[in-house]
Amino acid sequence: MVRVSYDDVTKRYGNEIGAENVAITIEDGEFAVLLGPSGCGKTTTLRCLAGLTDPSEGEIYLGDEPITDVHPKNRDIAMVFQALALYPHMDVATNIGYPLKVAGVGKAERRERVEEVAQTLEIGDLLDRDTDQLSGGQRQRVAIGRAIVRRPSVFLMDEPLASLDAKLKVEMRNEIKQLQRELEITTLYVTHDQEEAMTLGDKLIVMDDGEVQQVGTPHEVYHDPANRFVAGFIGSPSMNFLRVRRGAPNASHLVSDRDGSEWSFDYETGPAVTDGETPFVLGVRPQYFEVFQSPTRGTIEARVTVTEPMGDEQLLTVTPVDDEGRELTVRVPMDVGVARGETIWLGVDEASSYVFDADTGERITEGGQRTTTTPATD
Amino acid sequence: MATENRPTGGLRRSLLRRTEWCYDRLDEYGLLPGLTHGIALVFVLWTMFPVYWMVSGSLRTRRDLLATPPQWLPSTLTVENYVQLFAQRPQFYDYLFNSVVVTAGATLLAVALGTAATYGFVQYDYPFDLGRFHLPFTILATRFLPPIVTVIPLYRIFDATSLLNTKFGLVLAYAAFNVPFVVWMMKGFFAELPDSIVEAAIMDGHTEIGAFLKVVVPMVRPGLIAATIFTIINAWNDLLFAVILTSDTSAQTLPVALATFKTAYVIEWELLTAAGTIAMAPVLLFAFLVREKLLRGFTMGAVK
Repeated sequence: MVRVSYDDVTKRYGNEIGAENVAITIEDGEFAVLLGPSGCGKTTTLRCLAGLTDPSEGEIYLGDEPITDVHPKNRDIAMVFQALALYPHMDVATNIGYPLKVAGVGKAERRERVEEVAQTLEIGDLLDRDTDQLSGGQRQRVAIGRAIVRRPSVFLMDEPLASLDAKLKVEMRNEIKQLQRELEITTLYVTHDQEEAMTLGDKLIVMDDGEVQQVGTPHEVYHDPANRFVAGFIGSPSMNFLRVRRGAPNASHLVSDRDGSEWSFDYETGPAVTDGETPFVLGVRPQYFEVFQSPTRGTIEARVTVTEPMGDEQLLTVTPVDDEGRELTVRVPMDVGVARGETIWLGVDEASSYVFDADTGERITEGGQRTTTTPATD
Repeated sequence: MATENRPTGGLRRSLLRRTEWCYDRLDEYGLLPGLTHGIALVFVLWTMFPVYWMVSGSLRTRRDLLATPPQWLPSTLTVENYVQLFAQRPQFYDYLFNSVVVTAGATLLAVALGTAATYGFVQYDYPFDLGRFHLPFTILATRFLPPIVTVIPLYRIFDATSLLNTKFGLVLAYAAFNVPFVVWMMKGFFAELPDSIVEAAIMDGHTEIGAFLKVVVPMVRPGLIAATIFTIINAWNDLLFAVILTSDTSAQTLPVALATFKTAYVIEWELLTAAGTIAMAPVLLFAFLVREKLLRGFTMGAVK
């Protein structure tokens, strides 16, 4: 149980950047989740800590000890792989006890500790089975058992639930979280599934393009995204991005900055960009549009192209299109009766919208500070 | 083009239809099991008869063995041929010993080198597909030459390095000759290792070498056994290299000895069959002992 810190770790593969200037800290006993799209560098970052990949630059510390030059086997770090990598020629008990065997722990103690772990993971009755006789969830437990049996100081998991079906995924997710709470092992968990990340992590580390985009609690990255990437990646369905500018210097309405589309709507709160010329990007989550069913002043006129009922709510896909040319997504209660082809009018819930620089994607806030918006529950 | 192809396709289709029709009739009358077993039996007799003739011959008198018309079953059984073999040719022990030493040495060396090399090719990243294809293929390509072509240069090299007429020389020659087989057989096994298994072993506390020896090697054991048997058979039975690279009992092997039973004047059939049986026994016995693993080894690489 120990604190992990990355000091500007960079990994290059030839000219390709795997991970760049990663500087993060995972506190003792914390459950940190590396989240990002595939190829974003999260697995590279994890493997640098495991020692399976050597960083090109930078240093990683376990507590105060630099470990970049320490062989993986001497780092006291255990890992669960995406493919699980159970040893097919060993039964369940031997699999779980294998790290102890390698470490030279005696047979009796090994048996005892394997049984203890198996008990925790509720696979006590499977110890004599071969691994190919196990179900997906059971194999998962064996892999976790093998990782925790030697009580490592850091526990790594690389998309361990990727191969499970949806129901089992949720079940195992809860168990992993519970187990981590009980063992209080510092944990770094890699996933591309934001829902998994949000439910599991004490801390989320969102990565894209090899770089850390934001570090924060699940609440922070959702409600206070550092940039457009994080805002778009976290949340489902994802945020709408409108490319706009002020209608005139200090005007209280925004107009479309996209070629060929002409609309304007009221937006009175003052993010920095007020000159009427500089384009910027307004981010609005689907549930934070105000929806009107009759022409209303200061709103965007929109035509519904798709309706998707989801029980209590429905998702509407509407034109105009957003900054990326996608149609806007709007989430409204089921009792808003709209059908395909109808027209609605959209206003923006200003307190729950975000402003981003049109070029860099960085969040623009008043006075250079990020404004924490109302933590609306959804 | 299309008109040229039509008759062939039609013929093939009609042949296929007829075969299927025959198959269905055989199935209908319950003749299929009998037929397949019959074919298998004929094949087994075909392969096993020479072996039977040799083993039974070694237990007969010369007269019985060479009788015309042939005596399919021995009239009397005797071990006299074996007694005579060792009495007339006390050096037979030397040949046997040389064969065992050379085969064991060559097999150990070829399997160890071939396995380690293949693992390296498959496990580590090389530029330009070198590890996955080009290097293993280059190694295999050394076997495209007829062995006889390599014997003369090999003789010159062995002469220059004092390896002529030594067991060690033969070990080197056979090992070099068999590494390509081992590489080609093991390649499939290593390629089928589950993802991340080596990394898991390292995270569980092994060094790279430890992970290879303690986790990977046990997992590819069927392949190792198949490769071992294959190498043993090659080294044990080789005549060409042994005849040319050795000259007396200090290094000559069983196949060389067997060849001496056929002289310009006479073929000592009764001694030859006894010696042949002795030469065949060890490999047969070993293959029998590991037959289950061997079978898995031969089928696993081919069909996943």
